[in-house]
Amino acid sequence: MAEDRKSEILKEFDPLNQFVSSENDDTVEDVMSKKDDANTQAVEETNMNISAQDMGDEEPFYDFQLFIKQLQTPGASPLVKYTKSFLRNFLAQRLLWTVTEEIKLINDFKMFIYDKFALYEPFKSLDSSKIRNAREGIEKLIMGKLYFRCFSPSLYDTLQKPLDDQHMRDLNDDNTLQEKIEHYRFIGPVMLDIPDTMPTAKLNRFVHLASTELGKINRFKSPRDKMVCVLNASKVIFGLLKHTRLEQNGADSFIPVLIYCILKGQIQYLISNVNYIERFRSPEFLRGEEEYYLSSLQAAVNFIMNLSESSLTIENHKGFEEEYQENLKQVAKEKDEHHKQRKLDVPNELQSNGTLLKPLDEVTNIVISKFTELFSPVEETTQEETLNSERSSKEEDVSLLIKKIEENERKETLKTLQNMFPDMEPSLIEDVCFAKKSRIGPCVDALLSLSE
Amino acid sequence: MDTNTAGIPTLTIKLVLLGESAVGKSSIVLRFISNDFTESREPTIGAAFLTKRITRNDKAIKFEIWDTAGQERFAPLAPMYYRNAQAALVVFDITNEQSFRKAQNWVEELHEKLGDNIIIALVGNKMDLLTMQGEISNRAVNEDEIQNLCQQENLLYFEVSAKTGKNIQEVFQAVGEKIPFPTHNVGRTSEHDLTITDDQRIDLESTTVEGARETGGCNC
Repeated sequence: MAEDRKSEILKEFDPLNQFVSSENDDTVEDVMSKKDDANTQAVEETNMNISAQDMGDEEPFYDFQLFIKQLQTPGASPLVKYTKSFLRNFLAQRLLWTVTEEIKLINDFKMFIYDKFALYEPFKSLDSSKIRNAREGIEKLIMGKLYFRCFSPSLYDTLQKPLDDQHMRDLNDDNTLQEKIEHYRFIGPVMLDIPDTMPTAKLNRFVHLASTELGKINRFKSPRDKMVCVLNASKVIFGLLKHTRLEQNGADSFIPVLIYCILKGQIQYLISNVNYIERFRSPEFLRGEEEYYLSSLQAAVNFIMNLSESSLTIENHKGFEEEYQENLKQVAKEKDEHHKQRKLDVPNELQSNGTLLKPLDEVTNIVISKFTELFSPVEETTQEETLNSERSSKEEDVSLLIKKIEENERKETLKTLQNMFPDMEPSLIEDVCFAKKSRIGPCVDALLSLSE
Repeated sequence: MDTNTAGIPTLTIKLVLLGESAVGKSSIVLRFISNDFTESREPTIGAAFLTKRITRNDKAIKFEIWDTAGQERFAPLAPMYYRNAQAALVVFDITNEQSFRKAQNWVEELHEKLGDNIIIALVGNKMDLLTMQGEISNRAVNEDEIQNLCQQENLLYFEVSAKTGKNIQEVFQAVGEKIPFPTHNVGRTSEHDLTITDDQRIDLESTTVEGARETGGCNC
C-alpha cells in the first residue's frame, strides 16, 4: 500500500528516476537516465559542511539538510507544490531547451520562489543569513533534478542526439581542451615560468592534490558544490605558494600553477562545468571571491585552448619538438589501447557516461527513496504512521551510510595530507584532520603554519 | 549597494590590477590591506583576490581587488578579469621604461573595451628606488610624458612606494572618491533582474555604475 503510494509520488515528481514505475510513458522514458541523483547525493552530503567562501557580510552558513527539513514542514507545502510543478513542467514540456531558455526559466523560478519565502513559514520568519541558506537550498534542489537536462555532457548522454548550438559548443570545447591537454601534458613547470626554486617533489604533490580536488567537480550536480571544488583546488595551490614563499606575488604565481594543474589533471568536461556554474549559480552568490576564482579558471582554460609552442618559455626548441612528437605518439598509443580495452570489456551501460561517479548501487536505492521522501510531505493521515516509521528506519540506514562514506573520505584526505607533508608526524596530521573536520582547505592551512 | 551589519551603506567596488609582472602590483595591495587586520575573516584563499573597506564621509566602500598575472603571455586573459570592473590600477615601475609602455597599452585597452565606465589610476611604483647621482636621476619615465597620458586618457596619477607605504592609501582613497554611490535601488539591485543575459561577459554596459564619467584631473 505504502509502496503504491510512493510510486505514485515518484512518478509525479521525479520522472528522472527510471525505476519509479514501469508504466512511464514514452516521453518520460526518453529522458530517463540510468544515472540518478542519489549517486552523487550521498557523496555530496558528506561534503556539505565544506563551506564555500561567504561573499557577503553574513557568516558563511550552509546546511542543505536543514533546508529540506524546513521544506517538509506543513506550512511550507505551497513551496513544495510550486517547486514540483516547475520541475515537472521543465522536464515534460520539452526535451531540449536552449541555454538561454534554461537560464531564463531557472532564474525566473528562483526569483518567484524567493519571493514566496516571505509568505510561508518557517521561511517567513528567518533572518537574512538563514534565508540565504534557503536560497542555496532551492538552487541545489532544482539543479540536482535538472542536471541531466542542463549540464551539456549529461544532456547529450541522455538524449543521444545533436543538441542546440550552445550546448553543442560546450561539448566541442571540452573536446578541444581535452586534446590540447593531451598534447601538452608533458611540459615542465619552467616552461610556464614556475620558478625552478620550487622543489619538484613538493610541486608535484600539491599539483596532484589540487587537480584531484578540481577533478571532483564532476561528482557534483549543484553549481555551488562544483564551485567549492574550484575554491578548494585554488586553496591547495595557495598552500603550495605559501610553502614556497611565492604567495605575495599573487596572480603572477597563481595562474601558472593553476594552468599546470589543469595540464596534469586530465579532468573531463572542464569547460562544460565552468559554463554550467556560470549559468546556474545565482548571481547573488557568484561574486567576490567565488567569481574571481571561477574567472581565473576560465582564464587558465582559455590559455590552454590557445596554447602553442610560442606561448611557452622554451630554451631548446629542437628538444621541445622531439618531446612533443614523442608525446603525440604516446597519446595515440594510449587511445588505441583504450579502444581495444573497451571492446573487450563486458558491455557496461554506464561506460559512455563519465559524468558521474561509479554508482554506489547498494547505496543508491536507499538514498533515492530518502531524497524522494524529502519531496513528498505526508498528506494523508491514514498513512502517516506507516510512513513515519518507515521513514525513520530509512533515515537510520542513510545516516549509517553517510557515516561510512564520510569515514572513507576522511581516510582519503588523511592519506593525501600525509603525502603532502611527509616530514610531519602522522599522528599530528591526524589530530589536525580531526580538529578541522577533514576539510582540505583548513587542514592545509593549519599544517602549513605548523610546518613553518 | 548592500548594507553591512552596522547598517552603514556600503558601496562595493571591483578594482582590477594591471601591469607587468615585476612592477609590484601585489605588493601595493598587500601594503594597502596590511594596516588593517579586521578584514582577516574575509578572503581566505590567497593573495590574488583581496578585499578592504575604507570609509568616505559616513559611508563605507569595500574594495574587491582582482589581481591579474602580469607576464606577457597572459595578457590575452585580462578581459576575463576586467569585465564589470568599476576601477583599475595600472601599475608601472618608474625606474623601468618598458613597464610604462605596457601600462600605456593597458590604459588604451581598458578605454577601448570599457569606454569611460571605468576609473583608472595610473600608479608609478618604486619611488623608493629613485636616486640622484649629481644631476642625473634614475627615473626612466619622462614626467611630461606621464602628464600627457594622464590628460589625454583622463587618469588619476600617483607615484607610490609599496615598500615604504608612501601614497598607497591615497591611491585607493582617490579612486573611492571618484565612484558615486548609487542614489536608487537601495534594496534589491540588478542582481535580481530577470533579464539576465546568457553570457554576462558581454553585458558590460548595463552593470557598470552609472554616472562614472565625471572628469578626473591628473594628480601629478
